[in-house]
Amino acid sequence: MVQSSVMKQSLVFDQLSCRLQVEGLPDVSIGQSGAALGIITGWSLQWVGRPLLEGRREHLQALMQVVLPYARHLISGVRREFSVAGEPVDIGPHPDGGHRLLLRSSQPDTPPLEMHLDDAELADLVRVLDLLRLDPRVQLPLAIPDPEPLGPRELMERIPLHRRLSAPVGGAAALAVSAALVLLLPPPAVPPAPTPAAPAAVEAPSTPRP
Amino acid sequence: MAKDTSEAATQDRSSRPLPRRGLERLDLMLLCMEALDLNGGEAMVWMSEQLGYAALFPNRVELWKRRCHNPLRRSCRRGEVPVAETDALIRILCVMADRLYPMLRSLLSSSEPESVAKERWALFQGRLGELIQERMNPRRSGVQKLLDPNDGAAQRLQLVQGLSLCAGQGGFERIKASLMDAVA
Repeated sequence: MVQSSVMKQSLVFDQLSCRLQVEGLPDVSIGQSGAALGIITGWSLQWVGRPLLEGRREHLQALMQVVLPYARHLISGVRREFSVAGEPVDIGPHPDGGHRLLLRSSQPDTPPLEMHLDDAELADLVRVLDLLRLDPRVQLPLAIPDPEPLGPRELMERIPLHRRLSAPVGGAAALAVSAALVLLLPPPAVPPAPTPAAPAAVEAPSTPRP
Repeated sequence: MAKDTSEAATQDRSSRPLPRRGLERLDLMLLCMEALDLNGGEAMVWMSEQLGYAALFPNRVELWKRRCHNPLRRSCRRGEVPVAETDALIRILCVMADRLYPMLRSLLSSSEPESVAKERWALFQGRLGELIQERMNPRRSGVQKLLDPNDGAAQRLQLVQGLSLCAGQGGFERIKASLMDAVA
């Protein structure tokens, strides 16, 4: 859906639980015109029953930089925190299940906003971000990392730390206990050393008896 | 220079065939689609024609033969599947997931009443179980785990969650990268 006033463009992407609205202008300096959106002047993300999120292009890009890789990792079953240093958005698994989206405001004295999303709301968020980034009218580069296959080390994160450590720790403990038991065993009795044979009596040289 | 290297790596990755584990997951996700849509098998063939893959999968048997590269199948085929064919299967999966997204979403939503959610999951689990028993090798531990009502729950949830996150055009690269994962 497009709403435009003179040059200003407004793109709206809807899902069941959220609506993303992006406003901007065509970048006439590089020859864009009409329905193209080359400059984002603002955006808003409206959730059902949650506060409205608003921001500038950098905030939208930061949201995409953490949410899309997080979704990619979830498909492989890896649930871990995602954040970009210095950026205002973090996402990760929520301790009570679902997902925790943390947004830090650039306004002073404004505490960070934490949102608890369920799997369906996260899927809706991913879909609106996909719709935005693949919309042919959006003609500005959005630096989003390409999805990459995960290596064995990253896939290991699927298994909780205590389960990952249980086998090696158990093995080491079993080895230590066995070693201690072996040390407790009495050393085998040393067989008595054979006593040297008594030297044969030296017979006095027999002297001829008279 | 760095961009060239990155592009070359991406190109190299996209030309590599899917590993066996990837083929296994792809087939299981397609099976989930069939469990959600009673007419899923027919829809898959129709979708393949709509997307222009009639040359790759001229009939349902050819489509079934590619899916039989899943090592968990009763009649498992050996060898690699060409990249063009796995890409076509992934595209079909993404389009079907997009079409069935409302159902996937209702399974994942926590705002549904618990009794309704339980009923939906039980229905899905029942249908998926029937399809697995019909087509998969029951002696494989992976199949036994999927059929287990408790042990398989996490895996079924992950499959449904994966489908919801790969639905639509934007999901293709994500799901392909995931299917190319290394073996842990």
